[in-house]
Amino acid sequence: MSWSAQTKMLKGASGIAAILLLWQLSVYVVDVPPHFYPSPAAVWRAFIEMTEKGILPSYIADSMLRYLLGVLIGTAIGCALALLIASSKLAMRMLGPMIDFLYYMVELAWIPLFVIWFGFGLPTILVAVVYVVIWPVLFNSLSGIRSIQPSLILAARSLGGSRWQVLREVVLPGMLPQAVNGFRVAAGFAFRALIFGELIGAQSGIGYLIFESTTHLQTDRTVLGMICMGLLWLFIDRNYLRPFEKATIDRWGMVVSHDS
Amino acid sequence: MTANGIAPSRLARQAASIGLALIVPALVVAAWAAVPFFVKVPAYKLPTVMEIGEQFWVLTSSGKLGWELLVSGSRFIVGLLLGTALALPLGLAIALNRHVSDVVRPALVFFQAIAGIAWVPMAIIWFGFGQGPVIFVIANTVFFSTIYNVVRGVESIPAVLRNAVRSMGGTGIGYFRELILPGALVQIIVGLRTSMAFGLRALVGAEMIAGTSGLGFMTIDASQSYGTDTVIVGMLVIAVVWYVLDRAVFIPLERKTVVRWGLQRFQ
Repeated sequence: MSWSAQTKMLKGASGIAAILLLWQLSVYVVDVPPHFYPSPAAVWRAFIEMTEKGILPSYIADSMLRYLLGVLIGTAIGCALALLIASSKLAMRMLGPMIDFLYYMVELAWIPLFVIWFGFGLPTILVAVVYVVIWPVLFNSLSGIRSIQPSLILAARSLGGSRWQVLREVVLPGMLPQAVNGFRVAAGFAFRALIFGELIGAQSGIGYLIFESTTHLQTDRTVLGMICMGLLWLFIDRNYLRPFEKATIDRWGMVVSHDS
Repeated sequence: MTANGIAPSRLARQAASIGLALIVPALVVAAWAAVPFFVKVPAYKLPTVMEIGEQFWVLTSSGKLGWELLVSGSRFIVGLLLGTALALPLGLAIALNRHVSDVVRPALVFFQAIAGIAWVPMAIIWFGFGQGPVIFVIANTVFFSTIYNVVRGVESIPAVLRNAVRSMGGTGIGYFRELILPGALVQIIVGLRTSMAFGLRALVGAEMIAGTSGLGFMTIDASQSYGTDTVIVGMLVIAVVWYVLDRAVFIPLERKTVVRWGLQRFQ
C-alpha cells in the first residue's frame, strides 16, 4: 500500500473513531434516559449478547437468504421480460408506455396491497424484493437493447444469422452493460425493500431487529441493527456487486458511467 | 404536397402510438374485471374497477384525498429543504478540501448505506408518532443523496478550468462564484431529481410506519381494515403525482439548465 493510500485510510479511520468517541462522550453530557440515546458501549454489549445467543447470526442469515432469493428471481424475470418485449417491435410499442408508468410507481406503495394479498411474512417480503428488482433490470435492459445500432442486427442477419443467433450474438451482449447497470441499481433498491418489508411484516431478520427492539425500548439493539444493515450492504457492494460489475463490463469491453 | 402530407401522417403515427399504448392497460383492466368470473377471489382482495372509481370519488369529494395530499406534500417540501440546506455546505467542504474529504468520506459512505427508512424506529423514539419522524427521515435521505451530488458536481469541473481561473488570479469568493457554483449546478439540479425520488420513498415508507396522517398512512391504515380500494387509489395517486412532477417540472428544468449552462449530461 502506498504512503498516500495509507494516510488516507488513517484519516478515514480517525473520522470514524472521532464519531464513536464524540457519541460516547455526548452520552455522559446529555442527561436523557438510555433508551432515548443508547451509547456505543451499550450497543457493543447488545452485539456480544445477541451474538452469544445466536440471534444475530440467524437474523443475518435470514435476511441474506431472502435478499439473495428475491434478487435472483427478480433479475431472471426482468431479463426474460426485456428479451421477450424486445423481440417484437409491436410489443415494445404496446408495453413501453406502461412500463414507463410502472417505473413511476413507488414500490413501497405496493406493500399494503401485498400485505392484503399475501399476509404478513415471507411471501410479502419476497414479492416486494422481487418487484423492486424487476423494474430497474427491465428498464435498463430495454434501453440497452434500444441503443443497439440497427445496422448491427441487419449485418448479422444478412450474414445468415438466425433469429436465435442474432439474439445471442448481438442483442444479448449489447444489452448486458446496461442490464448490469440496472442490476446494480436494483440490488440497492432490493436491500431497502428487504429492510422495509422486514420492518412491516417479518418475525426475524435485520429489519425486524431494528423495528421490534424499539417497541421494547431496547434501542441499543435498534442501533446495532442499523449498524449491521450498513455493514452488510457495504460488504455486499464491495465484495460482490462491484467486482461483478467490473468483471462483466471488462469482459464485454464496454464502459458505462459509474455511480459512486 | 409533401408539406401537406407530412403533418397528417405524423399525427396518424402519434395516434397509432397512443392507440397501441392503450391496448395493454385496457387488456389489464379487462382481465382484472374478468378474474372474479373464473377464480373465486374474496371481494376485499380484488375490488372492481368501478369500486375503485367510486372510492376515488368518495375520497375526493369528501376532501380527504386533497387533505392527505396536502399534508404529505408539505412534509415532503420541508424535509427536502431541510436536507438540501444541510447538505450543501458539507458537500462543498468535502469537495473543496482534500483533508475534510479524507476524514469524512468513510463515515459518510457508511451513513449513506443506512440513510432512509431504517431511521424510522429511532425517529419515533425521538419525536413520537406523527410528522416529526417523517420529516426527519425525508431530510436524512435527501441529505446524503444531495451531498453526493454536490461532491460529484464539483469534481466534474475540468481541472483545466480550475487551473485557468486560478492562474488568472481567481481566489476566494470569485473562484467560488464564477467557477464552482456554475460548474456544479448542473449536477446538483440533475441530482435533485434523484434526491426527490429517494425522498418520496422515504415519505411514503415513514408515513406507513410512523405517520398519523398523509398518503402513506392512508394506504396502510386502509389495508388494516381491508379497504383495498383505498389502498389502490392511494398507490395510483402517488404514482400520478410523481409522474406529473417529473414530466412537468424536472425534465424541462433539466433541459433548460443543461442547455443554459452549455454543458452536456454525461450518461
